[in-house]
Amino acid sequence: MLYEEFNEFWQVARKRHIIFFYVGYFSQHVVAAISETIKARLDTAGAAGPTRRRIFSSFVEMSQNIMHYSSDTLTPDERDNQMRRGSFCIGMSGDSFFLLCANPVSTENVEKIRARLEPLHTMTIDEIKSAYKKALREETPEDSKGAGLGFLTMARDASEPLEFEFVKEAHDPETTVFCIKAII
Amino acid sequence: MEPYFINASPTSPEIDFRFDHDTLSIKGESYPENAAAFYGPVIEKVRAYLAGCDRIDITVNVSLAYFNSSSTKMLFTLFEALNDAALAGNAVRLNWYHDEDDDTILEFGQELHDDFGALDFHDHPVVSN
Repeated sequence: MLYEEFNEFWQVARKRHIIFFYVGYFSQHVVAAISETIKARLDTAGAAGPTRRRIFSSFVEMSQNIMHYSSDTLTPDERDNQMRRGSFCIGMSGDSFFLLCANPVSTENVEKIRARLEPLHTMTIDEIKSAYKKALREETPEDSKGAGLGFLTMARDASEPLEFEFVKEAHDPETTVFCIKAII
Repeated sequence: MEPYFINASPTSPEIDFRFDHDTLSIKGESYPENAAAFYGPVIEKVRAYLAGCDRIDITVNVSLAYFNSSSTKMLFTLFEALNDAALAGNAVRLNWYHDEDDDTILEFGQELHDDFGALDFHDHPVVSN
């Protein structure tokens, strides 16, 4: 009976070809543990070296986004040792892999995030690479805790333009769920 | 100057700076929670060391299997400091190790080569298992 309950989850995940799925709080320890797991899973899934590296790189950038920017935090007063909530999954669709990530953000930041992502949509891979090179040599944007290179890195690793969506939280207008998908 | 050593963690590299031998090595994977907090003191140590270098042969070994975007930015700053030291009359050899089929790290190495022409850049593709 207990196992059956569990099996329902597993069947849904299997039908969608999900390799890894996590919902909850992300801390640096969680990121390290997920890293270890997905490296092993991608090995057994038979992904080629460069594909594995791109998937891993996109996972790290997504998890850092959650740890730096998710508005649901257990550690509101700390600068480091963050624990913030988000969802992450890796799956297969046909011959490619996809990574899906969602986390709540403050609604007032939505336009800023959109302004960073929208231009990437119409850029070619060469344009993305040169935007990356330019950003690498620029000062880090003031509102960035990383390097302002995260989305460009994801766009560079992906084989198709990044997809993203903002979903308003019905019960909390100050919070919007930010969702991003990378196909590798 | 005293050697400077930081153990590797699952998400940050080993730092092994033997200033007395003019050999600086970084090895492992780099995606710490806060790259600026991790690399800030590292870069500061290197700057202090370089300030006392005059016509010295310096060897830098970098063997990173992976570094995330915010680490990339910090590494760029580190190499800028080394390039300045080379322009000031030191001989800085940069040994850049990467997996032979890792295009991203190879390309970043080429970026360094293009931007920091005073560094004596040596690309070392490593055959993967």
